[in-house]
Amino acid sequence: MIFIQREEADRNAITEMVQRSGSGCVVQFIGVVRDNSEGKEVSNMTVEVYEEMARKQLEDIRAECKAKFGVQEVAIVHRYGEFKVGDELVFIAISAGHRKAAFKACMYFIDELKQRVPIWKKEVNPDGSYWVEGEKRE
Amino acid sequence: MKIKVTYYGQFRDITGLKEEEIEAKDGVTVVELRDQVRDKYAKIAAKEEVLVAINNSFTSLETVVKKDDKVAFFPPVSGG
Repeated sequence: MIFIQREEADRNAITEMVQRSGSGCVVQFIGVVRDNSEGKEVSNMTVEVYEEMARKQLEDIRAECKAKFGVQEVAIVHRYGEFKVGDELVFIAISAGHRKAAFKACMYFIDELKQRVPIWKKEVNPDGSYWVEGEKRE
Repeated sequence: MKIKVTYYGQFRDITGLKEEEIEAKDGVTVVELRDQVRDKYAKIAAKEEVLVAINNSFTSLETVVKKDDKVAFFPPVSGG
């Protein structure tokens, strides 16, 4: 359940999609375009993706979430294209029998995504546009 | 041999290219190919970290690059 797309996520449909027999919760994460970055105003953002590799990396992280935390199902939507402040960039939904596993898996998913999924942001502010420097891989 | 490399993110702006062919010796390793790209583009050389993926995976710097491998160069990722 990996979706790399321009369109906004259909959160209700995806939340239903991840529910399984025995599900006790669905934890969701929504990442949105912030109006500031390192003290500067941000008005717009461009997101680029190396789709083939991103899909593989996201599939790997999804499998790791299931193996490490025993969650039932994991879905992610990561968008690319042009965005404005407040737009939703990322939606993650994780179902599990109990909340702790789902919260831990959700934190793991977004942390790993920020380390190893080939997606880049370019922010637009009053001084121009700037590529966001990603965190160094450990 | 010629190896096709693809650039992503800021590296497309730096190189002005989506992809190009680089002449490399047979048996070239990832780290050697990375050094060739750094030598060619000063703004890539100036980056603290240059990531290389082979066939959609991160790989050891000592991996030998084969002619038909899918080689990608890009800066640290910033999605999410």
